[in-house]
Amino acid sequence: MRVKVKRWHGVAVWRWDVPNEEVCGICRVPFDGCCPTCKTPGDDCSLIWGECTHVFHMHCLLRWLQTEGSRGQCPMDRRTWGINFTKLFFLL
Amino acid sequence: MSSRSRQNTINRINTNANNNNNNNEEERGGAIKRTRLDNANYTSTHTFSSSSSSSTAVAAATASSSSSYDNFIGKTSKKYDLVNHGKDLIFPSHKPIPDRPNDAVRQGPQKQPIKKLVIKGLKDKPKLPDNYEEVTWSKLQAAVQAIFNYQRIGTSLEELYKACENLCLHKMAPSLYKRLAGEIEEHLKVEKTKLENNLNENDTLLIVVNKCWQAHCEQMGLIRSIFLYLDRTYVLQTSGVISIWDKGLEIFQKQIMSSSAGDIKKKTMNGLITLIRLERNGDSVDRRLLHSLIHMFIDLGIYCPSFENLFLMETRSYYHHEGISLVSEITVPRYLKHVKKRLREESDRVSNYLDWKTKNPLTKVVDDELIKRHVDTLLEKGFNDMMEDQHADEHIQELGRLYDLLARVNSLDRLRLYFGNYIKKTGSNIVNNVNQESTMVEDLLALKKKMDSIVAISFDRNYNFAHAVKESFEVFINQRQNKPAELIAKYVDLKLKLGNKRMDDLEIEKTLDEVLVLFRYIQGKDIFEAFYKRDLAKRLLLNKSASFDYERSMLSKLRKECGPGFTSKLEGMFKDIDLSRDFMNSFYHSRISENLRTNIKIDLYVNVLTQGFWPTYSPAPLILPPVMAECQEIFKEFYLSKHGGRNLKWQNSLGHCLLAAEFPKGNKELVVSLFQAVVLLQFNDLKLKERISYEHIKEHTGIEKKELDRTLQSLACGKVRVLKKHPKGRDVSPTDSFSVDEMFDVKFFRIKVNAIQMKETLEENQETNERVFLDRQYQVDAALVRIMKMRKKLSHNELVSELLSQLKFKAQVSDIKKRIESLIEREYLERDSEDPSILKYLA
Repeated sequence: MRVKVKRWHGVAVWRWDVPNEEVCGICRVPFDGCCPTCKTPGDDCSLIWGECTHVFHMHCLLRWLQTEGSRGQCPMDRRTWGINFTKLFFLL
Repeated sequence: MSSRSRQNTINRINTNANNNNNNNEEERGGAIKRTRLDNANYTSTHTFSSSSSSSTAVAAATASSSSSYDNFIGKTSKKYDLVNHGKDLIFPSHKPIPDRPNDAVRQGPQKQPIKKLVIKGLKDKPKLPDNYEEVTWSKLQAAVQAIFNYQRIGTSLEELYKACENLCLHKMAPSLYKRLAGEIEEHLKVEKTKLENNLNENDTLLIVVNKCWQAHCEQMGLIRSIFLYLDRTYVLQTSGVISIWDKGLEIFQKQIMSSSAGDIKKKTMNGLITLIRLERNGDSVDRRLLHSLIHMFIDLGIYCPSFENLFLMETRSYYHHEGISLVSEITVPRYLKHVKKRLREESDRVSNYLDWKTKNPLTKVVDDELIKRHVDTLLEKGFNDMMEDQHADEHIQELGRLYDLLARVNSLDRLRLYFGNYIKKTGSNIVNNVNQESTMVEDLLALKKKMDSIVAISFDRNYNFAHAVKESFEVFINQRQNKPAELIAKYVDLKLKLGNKRMDDLEIEKTLDEVLVLFRYIQGKDIFEAFYKRDLAKRLLLNKSASFDYERSMLSKLRKECGPGFTSKLEGMFKDIDLSRDFMNSFYHSRISENLRTNIKIDLYVNVLTQGFWPTYSPAPLILPPVMAECQEIFKEFYLSKHGGRNLKWQNSLGHCLLAAEFPKGNKELVVSLFQAVVLLQFNDLKLKERISYEHIKEHTGIEKKELDRTLQSLACGKVRVLKKHPKGRDVSPTDSFSVDEMFDVKFFRIKVNAIQMKETLEENQETNERVFLDRQYQVDAALVRIMKMRKKLSHNELVSELLSQLKFKAQVSDIKKRIESLIEREYLERDSEDPSILKYLA
């Protein structure tokens, strides 16, 4: 007997590329969950990576940057916030 | 002709004239001409001037009026009532005017003499003969007696009528009335003695009494006609006197039917009651006799208190006995039929010969004795049987009858109680029967359908009963925790899965709606959701869904039922499927997949899932053959290049493949799970009948033992056996070895071997349950914190009871206690230092 795979239906699960059980530094919700304003995790509530390697829910960070006290800095280390674009191909 | 002076003379004569002259005057007045008479002093007497007579004409004069004239006036004016011609008359004062005659003489002669006509009444009143009343009455009496005795009346009716009228006109009505009444009374006394002779013959008594009554009515009718004038004048004008007919009834009642007048009344009533009893027993009786006699009672005014009471008492005792004996003798449906028949009979009875006023009390008596008294017995004895009855139409009718009858006596609450209990009992039998789990949902649906149709047809769509159905279902379906919810989810899966017997759209929709009703009753909706989700995932990922339309329709039904929060994850699953399809499109249009198509020649399709939406699958290790691994890598690379910041984890347990297989007996296509595919690939390029050991396979595929056992079993011991197991047997053990079945041949080209994938394993089931319980723990925690945040300080018991009212599922108190402990540990709560049963919220 000889068999050959002709068609393959695979299933894969994606999750954010962050260490397990890590939480967003702003809202303290796990990255697997969504930010407090969203209802469902996933595509609709994505994460954002900074040049400083810090990760947040994108909604959380944008709201932070809009406050005057933020001065455009990362809330964790007060360095000027810059997006790590290598992680965000889909935004381009 | 006549002169003034002459008139004076006449006047004078006139003053002396006596009354007798009036007559002469009347006779003589031929051609009468009325003249003006200035001083004529009279009121009602007329003055005439006669052309012929000169001397004897009588004229009323005033000049020498005297007392005699006044007398005359007084007499004549009263006797005759003649018409005055006001124009010719002057009404002077009564005072005499002495000079008048002279004036009159001076005025000259009158053209005609005046005649005066005085009309006078009879001098003596005409008188009736002294014995007139007696004579007339004797004539009438004779006639009355003749009537009573059925004889010919000697005198003509007109004459009799006249006689009566005359007596009335001569003010003899009261005595006539009295005499007539006396005559009737006399006659009825005689009749009474006749009746009393018949008293002891029960059979004929009624007939005799009826005859007597009929005769009385007939005779009184005739008598009334004769004495009509009396009835119309004397009776009407005198208060306190009743009409002849009524008088006749009164006398009849007093003489014959009063209780003081002996036993006739009592015996008649008893006779009637006996007759009615006979009719109730099924004998035929003379209804006209009943009707006539009962209406006699009504006319005599003794129906309502005495006869009706007696009748109702008898009815009560009759049906009391009948009810007690029948309810134990015959089946409930037959009993109900009988009661209906009885009610119909009684209402016929009322319309046939009873007074309509009796209808309500009578039906009440029957209701009381036949239904109300036995409500519990009937329900206890017959209700369950009636519900169980297999003849659907008949039992629906019977239940309808039961409902109608119980509605009459306001006992629907009892019926509802039994109805509810029946549903609860039957339902909990279905739910708690561990052996019948496979048909539980169908049985429940059938039960629901049956109950609904009973409520709709038999119970008049009574809202309370519909509510009872709902309530009872809620009670029994939640008696067994979680299992019904799980089975309902599986039932839906069965309906939505491909390969089921085909149903058309309407049928499917109907089934889904029905299932949803059951779903509504379930408290543990999270269990349903978990299982539904797991099954839905399999249907979507393994392409086993019968139709996406059905899936979406079910989803929208659930959303309608439980709100968007309940279905948001399920909707997310559909979204993932759609996104994956789009992504695969772009994948195949990309350059990166070229290698895949040209060199590897595996048609890859990947569903990429968002972790939160789908059920969590435990990772299943698998060593892929290099070709497939390369394939996977290519896809992963492409995916990550499109979606930064993500990780992909492969779910091997959900993958499936189409294999092209060359068997000695021909080429086939095998639809297999990924595990099966990898195992089969191990057998490639083996020599004929060469065996591979279990351990070898395990080592080269990296599949876990349990999974490998299942996979090998499905390949070697299932319906379609591609492999041979050595030694033979149903169960796979680590010492077994396997070879390809060289003789493998099935008539189909494409063979599905992956049914095993659709089957839910025990572990999966457990896992799902555990996951739900874990979710519930979070819900308990959240609710506890919510309550404590609001109340700040609560005793343990208060907290638990408030929590139970908030939770949508049944929680065990012991579990809640554990959650409270855990919250104290995590410093959400603390115990009061003085009273340890009091909990405080820590901000």
